[in-house]
Amino acid sequence: MAFSGALTLTDLNDFITPSQSCIKPVEQTNATPKHQSEGLASTEIRVDSDGAYYEVAMDGLKTKSGPQQQKLQAADISLNDCLACSGCITSAESVLISMQSHTEVLNFLASNPEDICVSHKVPVLSIAPQSLASLAASISSSSTSTPLPLHRILRRVEVFCKKVLGFEHVFDTTFARHLALQEHIREFRERRSGQGRLPMLASACPGWVCYAEKTHGEMLPFISRTKSPQQVMGTLVKEWMATKWHKSPSQIYHVTVMPCYDKKLEASRQDFYNDVYSTRDVDCVITTGELELMMREKDWDLSVPVEGEIADEIAGEANVAEPPLPTDSIHLPELISHPGTSSGSYLHTLIRSVVQDHPHALDLSVRNIRSSDYEEYTLTDRSSGEVVFRGAKCYGFRNLQNLVRKVGKEAGIQVGRGAAGRIGAMRGRAIKTKKGDTSAAGSTDKTYDYVEVMACPGGCVNGGGQLRPVAKAADKATDAEGFKRDWESSGVKIDEEDIGRIQGQSGKWGDKEWTKRVEVVYWHELPTPPPSPTPEGDSGSEKILSHLVDAKTQMADKLSTRILAETCQLNGDEKAVSWIDDMDQSAEGRRQKLFRTQYRAVESEVIGLAVKW
Amino acid sequence: MSRRESRMEVDLPGKIELIADLPGHEDKAWHVAWNPARPLLASCSADKTVRLYHYNTISTSDTSDSSSSLKFELNTSIATGHTKTVRGIAWSPSGQTLATASFDANIGIWQQEEDEDGEAENNVNGGGEWECVSLLEGHETECKSVAYSSTGTLLASCSRDKTVWIWEVHPDADFECMGVLMEHSQDVKCVAWHPTEEILASASYDDTIKLYQDDPSDDWFCATTLTGHTSTVWSIAWEPKEGGYLASSSDDRTIRIWRRLPGKGDISFECAAVIEGHERSVYSISWAPAPEKEAVKDAGGKNLGWLASTGGDGTVLIWQINEVPGEPDKSPKIEQTLLARLDAAHGVHDLNAIAWCPRAGMDGIFATAGDDGHTKVWKLILS
Repeated sequence: MAFSGALTLTDLNDFITPSQSCIKPVEQTNATPKHQSEGLASTEIRVDSDGAYYEVAMDGLKTKSGPQQQKLQAADISLNDCLACSGCITSAESVLISMQSHTEVLNFLASNPEDICVSHKVPVLSIAPQSLASLAASISSSSTSTPLPLHRILRRVEVFCKKVLGFEHVFDTTFARHLALQEHIREFRERRSGQGRLPMLASACPGWVCYAEKTHGEMLPFISRTKSPQQVMGTLVKEWMATKWHKSPSQIYHVTVMPCYDKKLEASRQDFYNDVYSTRDVDCVITTGELELMMREKDWDLSVPVEGEIADEIAGEANVAEPPLPTDSIHLPELISHPGTSSGSYLHTLIRSVVQDHPHALDLSVRNIRSSDYEEYTLTDRSSGEVVFRGAKCYGFRNLQNLVRKVGKEAGIQVGRGAAGRIGAMRGRAIKTKKGDTSAAGSTDKTYDYVEVMACPGGCVNGGGQLRPVAKAADKATDAEGFKRDWESSGVKIDEEDIGRIQGQSGKWGDKEWTKRVEVVYWHELPTPPPSPTPEGDSGSEKILSHLVDAKTQMADKLSTRILAETCQLNGDEKAVSWIDDMDQSAEGRRQKLFRTQYRAVESEVIGLAVKW
Repeated sequence: MSRRESRMEVDLPGKIELIADLPGHEDKAWHVAWNPARPLLASCSADKTVRLYHYNTISTSDTSDSSSSLKFELNTSIATGHTKTVRGIAWSPSGQTLATASFDANIGIWQQEEDEDGEAENNVNGGGEWECVSLLEGHETECKSVAYSSTGTLLASCSRDKTVWIWEVHPDADFECMGVLMEHSQDVKCVAWHPTEEILASASYDDTIKLYQDDPSDDWFCATTLTGHTSTVWSIAWEPKEGGYLASSSDDRTIRIWRRLPGKGDISFECAAVIEGHERSVYSISWAPAPEKEAVKDAGGKNLGWLASTGGDGTVLIWQINEVPGEPDKSPKIEQTLLARLDAAHGVHDLNAIAWCPRAGMDGIFATAGDDGHTKVWKLILS
């Protein structure tokens, strides 16, 4: 089986580990052949030298004809199985992701016919800004040196993908994110006006979406239906660009580079499959680690500048001043910065939108709950003191648990699988009796309007598919605080996996310093420092408002409106003023199809078989 | 001469006397827990119930008399509503709250409905009904064990899903998840909190014990891993007074005593003793402090109390654990003396749990739970 190298290197350390109750092992697909002797009492399983499994009849062993043996089929687990199963939560990368690996990309490119052939597919690659930041951090020698700007990394990735691999187009996904953010604002306004439930929970993190579908179906009505940037990019490439290029969606092969393994799962969702053309909006997702592996395999040194990367930079700036809008060529604004968080700035974009829409001045206050992975943002009307908006960013599996409990409690719904119906009922009663004492204190606490939920601690810069820090070999003799330790004598076994990881060039996933470093690189190119609002709350909202709306963003706005009109086939007479404006009914229907998605709960059952006490 | 015979000939200083045999569970009894504040003993079972037994408080100071007058009677049987086996139970230090760990992947939190006057605990036999005030969901599969920290502010649980969860206990039966620790590579069998500090230990099917600490500026983390057992670690128990030692029992039929090495805030352990004696898996251990009068006996060393163990061989063994000075510049040594032995404690059945009563005046009293569905209460009598 073809695990990609990067996968085997990292899968054991991904965030949510696979569980033992996968549906596949208990599924019996191969029917017992009828011609076998009747009354066959027992069989045993044998493994031959090639690793194939055989079921051998015990009776057969005694007969002269030799043992009857039947080769057993290996279980084949596809990503779709994983999506339909509550067995494990997210780590489908630990099963066979043969359809979504860097070898799959290389195989496709090798077998792609010449572009004069009808069956030729246009290879397109889109890379996430967090992946660029991870790559940039990996080639800056130390934490003190100035990191390379992301657009130079993008140029180098582009040259590698085009010249070495043979991609025809390379984009970054920030423009797609720009569209996703605008659609997000629109959806939030809809929900605030009563169409849908609040709090609205971010949907860009596929780990969170998958977890909610499998274990917290009651959270699904709260999860934003806006497509993630990856899937918006898929729509852009396969719908809008395809039309521009006079190609059908199936004549394009779209690869994305993501900081996250679960993006592979997202791309595999049925909702993002085009039945008419039998193609996915994103054909293959590879992680940052897999891209880096491809570079290493092709002896490509990312630290070496490519021709014209600085000239491009200057030209790029010039382009911003005079945005070219040719009718049939594709030029997306690159690396649009969305100030706020390095996980997409969903919360901050909504805060800015609320501030803009509100007739009076608003004060923003931020409350840190234990760590920077859980922060509450409150907008208060300066004159009336009324709380206008309350949101939070909530990263990491632990914080996610508390969020689910909080949202469930506030919405008055039972969370979780509700394994014990009676317990649920009893609990309800108990809470009711307690409510009388506490409701007075609780009522002043406004519930959340929006939460930016991400499954990884630290958010997307710390995604499971990102590069690991380069660890020093000496580290294994010292403990976490750098003290020398004699591990063996104190009865401590050094995890062999850890040694493997340390001795290889990769350090541990989730390294705080490293994540911080990637975060810094991510924001490095911003014209102004990212507005991390001060906890005091003074002038926080002005700070956000005063953020320079640069020319690039204006250009992105202009282009996005044009794309909306074109993809939603808005009548030539009508003109969409901006992304969030209402269009006619049929165009709105197409918007729903192109830029929104849906979720479904997976029935869960803890399998009682094979329980070990 | 077989091992068994040789052991039978040894004159042990103590004997174990049956105080009460409490049948009632319709299926295996998995765990027992003494309420630390009230005269209540809880047991849980595969029949999805928790049974609470009340016992009369001892009024006389003469312990030999009192034990014979110790009477247990059923207080209530809680039909938990868990859809599967209740595998573990734990009382909060206040004795007000009971936590249940079930194979249905949930942790139940139980409190007694308050009476009109709000004084539930004074009314031992009556009192309100026990009701589930909170349900902690999150584990994917069977929960195996649950434990309250010494201050009662933290609750830990573990599961076959290989994770250990730490919850902060808030007022009004509210809980906040403080950590999800995915350190073990297999089923986690048992969790146990340090008697005074916020240090958590967990034992697993991966043959290891892991110790966790809170990083105040960050999350809970695994501070160290103890390896040595050659099979599943079923049960762990801290030395109850200072927590300078941790005992672990295993499928490899041994009990190991681990010494915490001195060092400020540092957590590191060494194996101080490997105790053999059981013929099958050692499913459960419990460590009681030495009674006041016993503690001062040995001037040469330190009496660390009594360790009780039981398991698949149906035998209860009780050890006296002493810390004796080692050679100069060396760590002190652990010496164990077998005080008492009881074979076939639940007939032919396996014993799943053993627990010393932590309440004052109850020295030497312990309870066991077995596959026969019985809960039994015993007393160690030293001659």
